Amino acid sequence: MGNNNGMDTHIQDKAQVRLKGGKDGFRVTLDPTLPKDYVEGELTRLFNQLKHLAFNSRVVLDVGKTEGHQEIIESLSLFLKNKYNVESVSVPQREHNMNEDKPQKLDMSNTWHQHHTDALVIAGRVRSGQKIIARKHLVILGDVNPGSELIAGGDILIMGNLSGTALAGQPDNEEAIILAIGFKPIQIQIGGVIAAGLPVTSVPALEFAHVENGGIVVEDYIKTNPFGRLTWPVVR
Amino acid sequence: MEGKVIVITSGKGGVGKTTATAAIGAALALEGKQVAVVDMDIGLRNLDVVMGLENRIVFTIVDAVKGKCKVKQAAIKDRRIENLHLIPASQSDNKDVLNPDDMVQFCKELRKEFDFVLLDCPAGIERGFENSVAPADEAVLICTPEISSVRDADRVIGLLHARSITPKLIVNRIVPEMVASGDMLSHEDVVEVLSIDLLGLVPMDTQVIISTNTGVPLVLQKDSEAGLAFRRIAMRLNGQIDLPIEIPQTLKSFWKRVGLKIGIGK
Repeated sequence: MGNNNGMDTHIQDKAQVRLKGGKDGFRVTLDPTLPKDYVEGELTRLFNQLKHLAFNSRVVLDVGKTEGHQEIIESLSLFLKNKYNVESVSVPQREHNMNEDKPQKLDMSNTWHQHHTDALVIAGRVRSGQKIIARKHLVILGDVNPGSELIAGGDILIMGNLSGTALAGQPDNEEAIILAIGFKPIQIQIGGVIAAGLPVTSVPALEFAHVENGGIVVEDYIKTNPFGRLTWPVVR
Repeated sequence: MEGKVIVITSGKGGVGKTTATAAIGAALALEGKQVAVVDMDIGLRNLDVVMGLENRIVFTIVDAVKGKCKVKQAAIKDRRIENLHLIPASQSDNKDVLNPDDMVQFCKELRKEFDFVLLDCPAGIERGFENSVAPADEAVLICTPEISSVRDADRVIGLLHARSITPKLIVNRIVPEMVASGDMLSHEDVVEVLSIDLLGLVPMDTQVIISTNTGVPLVLQKDSEAGLAFRRIAMRLNGQIDLPIEIPQTLKSFWKRVGLKIGIGK
């Protein structure tokens, strides 16, 4: 596929609605000839993955040629503004569209360079009675003993056994996950959803918990590969 | 040289702190050290009974700390084991009569007279625990192979860490048959959760009950496996750190027992 024909390239891609993070916000690339319901469904799926990040963000809606698609652009920008409180929805600059691929890559790496980490990384064993509170993500390199408590605004990732209590996505981020190599917590909570008395797997496996249809589901991380379907890496 | 102050603690009650204190104290005294064992469980004293010295109490730790008597007067000398002294707790007060500063001061005096000062910490993590831990240089953590005990021990490790003390672990009351059949946590399981250095493993032993009831020191009973284990623990505390840790076995072969006796070398 030719690089000079950017828009056709996207149409033939598997993901027909794509989301990319950029320096100035998010860029949504889609085919305007797709059914509106399908596009809205895909947008919901993509934006749900970055729920709190979407808030007040600037979105660029790239439908290829703008001419003749004003209607769908307007309806989708209304949709995004209402549902995800994005600050603005605009169409891409023309020259930006011409050689899209190269500047985008630069933009992405710049984003990560400038991104100050929100993760609290802790090494060692967390013991009974200890409580670790992280503003956003929490990474523990070590075991988490029963009787201890982890609280995070975002994800909780444990490179070891989780046998204590873990509260991710506090207070209301139900997109957060809890990941551990030995997943045997006393209780977990994601956003406002609580799960206790989870079945214990005897063999250590990389498992993660997430919210699905209002309940907490624990699945094998390798098999499920929950972020594998993201076409482009995004900052969590 | 100043003596060492070692607190013997567990968090949970009934895991064998007092028995261990009495046994390790007696074993250290048999090694020829000047030993004071101090009952910190004010209001619920037990150590005097376990050591068979209850009818000789005149002054208590509260009297000694408050300056009503001299340290020498409060320290009861054991008649069977030379160099072993007990400073009993008061039964009529409660834990609030002492504070951590008092104890630091008091232990400063004890250090001058004794090579080892063993503090028998009460259960719990309140005032009695704070009083016992404040003056300590080292800590010995007693834990039984039960989940509840391990949980509490884990908490205590965290509290001791806040005071820059890393305790050493004794796993008490191991029943090798139950470990072998998978009905009891093994000492490896306990160490895996607690991840601290092991000081010794003590098997379940009915002799302990006899010893507690009669007041005869456990380490003086020749056929007590727990007594032997405590003597080995005392040797490690006394500087023989490379003494291998004996794992309680189901098979009590003749040669094994002979080996144990030689190992003790008394």
